[in-house]
Amino acid sequence: MLPFEEQVVADLLEDPNGGLVVVSCGLPVASLASAVLLQLFHQSPDDGCFLILSAPEPVKAQIRRRLLLNSQSQPPLLQLQVHDVAPDLPAHHRVALYASRAALFLSPRALVADFLTSRLLPSRVRALLLLSAHRSSDTSSDAFVARLLRHHHLLPVYAFSDRPHAMVSGFAKAERAMKSLYIRRLHLWPRFHLLAAADLERSPPEVIDVRVPMTQPMRGIQAAILDAMDACLKELRRTNKVDVEDLTVDKGLFKSFDEIVRRQLDPIWHTLGKKTKQLVADLRTLRKLLDYLVRYDAVTYLKYLDTLRVSEGVRSVWIFADSSHKIFDLSKRRVYQVVRADGTKVAADNKGTPTKKRKVARASSRKGKETENEGSSDNKDNTQKVNAEMGIVVEEILEEAPKWKVLRELLQEIAEEQAKGDGDNVNPVHEDGINESGIVLVACKDERSCVQLQECISKGSHQVMRAEWEKYLLGKAELHGLHRKNKKTSQQLKGFGVLDGEVPMRSGESAGPVSISKVEANALLAAASEISTVTKEANLADDSNVSCKKRSFGKGKGKGKFKKTMAKREASKLRNRNTTEHTDLEVEGQSGKTDEQAETDACKLSAEDDSASAPAVDKAANNLSAFGDSVDTEPLPPVQFYALDSDQHVLDVWKPSVIIVYHPDITFVREIEVYKAENPSMKLKVYFLFYEDSAEVQKFESSIRRENEAFESLIRQKSLMMIPVDQNGRCIGPTLANEPEALLSQNSLTRKAGGRKPLEKEMQVIVDMREFMSSLPNVLHQKGIRIIPVTLEVGDYVLSPLICVERKSIADLFQSFASGRLYNQIETMVRYYKIPVLLIEFSQDKSFSFQSASEIGDDVSPTNIISKLSLLVLHFPRLRIVWSRSLHATADIFLSLKTNQDEPDESKAMRVGVPSEDGVVENDVRAENYNTSAIEFLRRLPGVTDSNYRRIMEECNSLAELALLPVERLSELMGTQKGARMLKEFLDAKCPTML
Amino acid sequence: ASSAAQAPKNAILVSHRQKGNPLLKHIRNARWTYADIVPDYVLGQSSCALYISLRYHLLHPDYLYYRIRELQKNFKLRVILCHIDVEDVVKPLHEVTRTSLLHDCTLLCGWSLEECGRYLETIKVYENKSADSIREHMDNDYLSRLTHALTSIRHVNKTDVVTLGSSFGSLSQVMNASMEELARCPGIGERKVKRLHDTFHEPFKRVS
Repeated sequence: MLPFEEQVVADLLEDPNGGLVVVSCGLPVASLASAVLLQLFHQSPDDGCFLILSAPEPVKAQIRRRLLLNSQSQPPLLQLQVHDVAPDLPAHHRVALYASRAALFLSPRALVADFLTSRLLPSRVRALLLLSAHRSSDTSSDAFVARLLRHHHLLPVYAFSDRPHAMVSGFAKAERAMKSLYIRRLHLWPRFHLLAAADLERSPPEVIDVRVPMTQPMRGIQAAILDAMDACLKELRRTNKVDVEDLTVDKGLFKSFDEIVRRQLDPIWHTLGKKTKQLVADLRTLRKLLDYLVRYDAVTYLKYLDTLRVSEGVRSVWIFADSSHKIFDLSKRRVYQVVRADGTKVAADNKGTPTKKRKVARASSRKGKETENEGSSDNKDNTQKVNAEMGIVVEEILEEAPKWKVLRELLQEIAEEQAKGDGDNVNPVHEDGINESGIVLVACKDERSCVQLQECISKGSHQVMRAEWEKYLLGKAELHGLHRKNKKTSQQLKGFGVLDGEVPMRSGESAGPVSISKVEANALLAAASEISTVTKEANLADDSNVSCKKRSFGKGKGKGKFKKTMAKREASKLRNRNTTEHTDLEVEGQSGKTDEQAETDACKLSAEDDSASAPAVDKAANNLSAFGDSVDTEPLPPVQFYALDSDQHVLDVWKPSVIIVYHPDITFVREIEVYKAENPSMKLKVYFLFYEDSAEVQKFESSIRRENEAFESLIRQKSLMMIPVDQNGRCIGPTLANEPEALLSQNSLTRKAGGRKPLEKEMQVIVDMREFMSSLPNVLHQKGIRIIPVTLEVGDYVLSPLICVERKSIADLFQSFASGRLYNQIETMVRYYKIPVLLIEFSQDKSFSFQSASEIGDDVSPTNIISKLSLLVLHFPRLRIVWSRSLHATADIFLSLKTNQDEPDESKAMRVGVPSEDGVVENDVRAENYNTSAIEFLRRLPGVTDSNYRRIMEECNSLAELALLPVERLSELMGTQKGARMLKEFLDAKCPTML
Repeated sequence: ASSAAQAPKNAILVSHRQKGNPLLKHIRNARWTYADIVPDYVLGQSSCALYISLRYHLLHPDYLYYRIRELQKNFKLRVILCHIDVEDVVKPLHEVTRTSLLHDCTLLCGWSLEECGRYLETIKVYENKSADSIREHMDNDYLSRLTHALTSIRHVNKTDVVTLGSSFGSLSQVMNASMEELARCPGIGERKVKRLHDTFHEPFKRVS
């Protein structure tokens, strides 16, 4: 631990009530938390358990490791145990854990339920630690836990956050969070704090900043995206709905930009036009595009753009802007170019030959002419005809990411240096022992880039690009085949034109792009078929008799050198396609399947080809220590790839001596600093790879600026903060709790002459386990209602034996109307309760309205929410609807509904609606025991109904398993043959591809 | 406005009390006619509605209760149509909610006269309509069905659906894809990969 960390811990522990620590991102929260734990534990080891809430997985692992390290030097009695209390742990195990004196990781949701059912005694808890304090607010479940505990027992609460910028979003967020957690002290530890800075800069690592210039088209794309963003922002400002000050392109680079915009727009969201909403969505898309520009290779980027064009379709504003045309155009030009072949077609084997490259200049001039021809629709036919006569060829450019080359050079340079430096260590490459000075860590943003970079280094970047390109081409060709057949057979699948990458255009002036895209599509298809014919001829001798088994066998043979495998793989795939085009539907289905099998096989194959380099990719870091088969065998140092997204802390594990930060990230930089400060004797060299003048640099720099601003604002807030305390200097918690009580007393005074003292004790509400996701139970508890958590089959809240409430937030309401679930829920509720209530809950900070006036329309439309609600009301005249402005309003309504009603019966409520054949549900079966998202998914599949989904769940373990069941078994499970066939067809239907 | 001579059977009956309510201007998709009735509107054989604006309720807090009491039990569906026309809604809405709930009325809220009028029209027009459009049902189009299913997983958007579909070929392939394969799809980040994989591979019931 560094000296400044010790200071943090000492400061924090000074106040027996705990405190909130905010540190710069990347500074070690885990080591702080574990130090606090240990200190408390060693002060008095017999004093109960520690609860650690909302710890992210990597932080958990770190804390565990640190505690383990510590306990090795301690006698067994003084060892602090760590346990993870999973939500599905059986009740008695949890009780045992709560009774121990260990540190426990838990989710607040499970904890609340355990606490309310008194499985956990508050007096057993020694301290409460919160590791993502930026998520706390007065209605969050952390706050609920804190309140539950503090209510019975005064224990310290220690909260940590390493997201200073999240702590300053919203009005006095830090102050409110602290109040709700009963914390009085705020400790700020920015990176620029004197102590921290001194510690981290005592022996800084050697830093080399490598600026890589972007290619011309990349720069063009970036400029175009920024233009488009700027245009969107200007447009957004013109709506006069948002505060202009905050909206800059600079801020637009961050995710939190969305939050800023949403927070401003949410209260008036219903009054916004479609265009404004689309603008907000577009900005998000554009930011992603900007990000992917430096992360993805050219082909993948193009692929993503194509996908985007399909999914965004005609809705987007930006897609039709000038600059977006540039984006599409340039990213295409990074990959391929459409050229006219002079006279006869060039021989089919011309791919990749140098002669092609020479044509580029001419091609672009030709392209220019074509673009000139845009505009008049007459020319469309004309050009097409010419194309048909002359023939057009796609020539690939396959621009490589400039960083690839630099990375490779860097690795070589490092290898040379190492060879020079460690004369004693002759061959560091093949030695798998962790030699401190050997390892090079390459940090990229995501797993995908890791894999790709790894391939780049082992196979050469050109190979990688080629593989991507061929995949792309084949995908296009496949789609075309499908497209044609589809036209012939049925129009069941609409929207194929769009899938082909051709956006339907209505106006005459936009006809130009269509013709061009058609020309291009044709050319692409031609290129694909060229590949296919070449490979077909080459393999004709191999097997002329085409059968499924034989085909896959033939591929099995191809397990030789890499290039050959590739060729064969493509060939067999293409053959598949060619044959299937002539056969009838059923065969198509079959061979389609084998096609996919072939692909997966191929994947496996190439994985094997990677020499021994690729262990399971789901590991955080990929080991790439042996380069036996690599294309050019230059000496390279052992390289570890690390995905920043995986959030694991690998520095301590790998102990690299050189770090190449491929995608710069401020958090990781801090981690490096801490790592270096912790190991001052170690030599560490850090390379940063930046694209020069790119949004990447801009983003990195403004993230530092943003954090500093956040801290400055926090420091200011701290000086003005008012935290109410009682005589003993303890925080008395959120003032908010007092205000609604006033309302309550006022209400009850008018009805009940006696005041509300006895009332508080009596009132209880049965709440469905799943509802603990929302904050309503928390607020109800604030109002003094006893919460009884159980698993309810019908409804969400049971207020009395008569009243049952189904709660729907607005988004939920629309969604469950659309899915039809609401109808079923209401149906069962009406069946079992005398007063079934649908609670429509609006969010406090969003607008109190369904829709803007313009959305109502002139006619009664069945899709409108008004129509749906009316229909619901007509069919369930007994249904009562409660419209609630906010959580607090809901709680008040609940209270007033409960007066003059009996208290609900827990065991009765639980049995309601549980089908008898299921047997009585046991007390400790909880909502967490179900994979809810899988169930929701299952219920949305065609053929799956309310009556059969339970049985499917029972007989079938998981969705993956379900997907593989034969249709006979399915019809057994589902009880209908028709449904089973429907499901099976849906599962195996060939997706429209557009790669 | 339609004439009183029309057969009142397929028209909304409007009480004379409602004369001058600007709401009537917004009933355009159904015929209406004045009649001597107890509720404000009769919308069908067994459904009726009372209209109240929150502003009026603030002035006359007892009005609603007396009107409901007059209704007696002649109608199966008794709608209180509440026009939200004040800024600070919480207290008056609470009272209206409570009154209608305790006296067996269904509360519907509209934020504009247009919206209120639309409720009346719709209930009249849909008098004999089946509930099919709000029951489980799906578009037959493959892509929208696929989208419907896959977007039930949090954070999966339409673009991801197309990406997943086109990279794996079919839904069953997607469902059996490994983490590694999922991670290779552009635009699908670490979190989505995990969520997708968990949904497909974790058992439905986690009980061991």
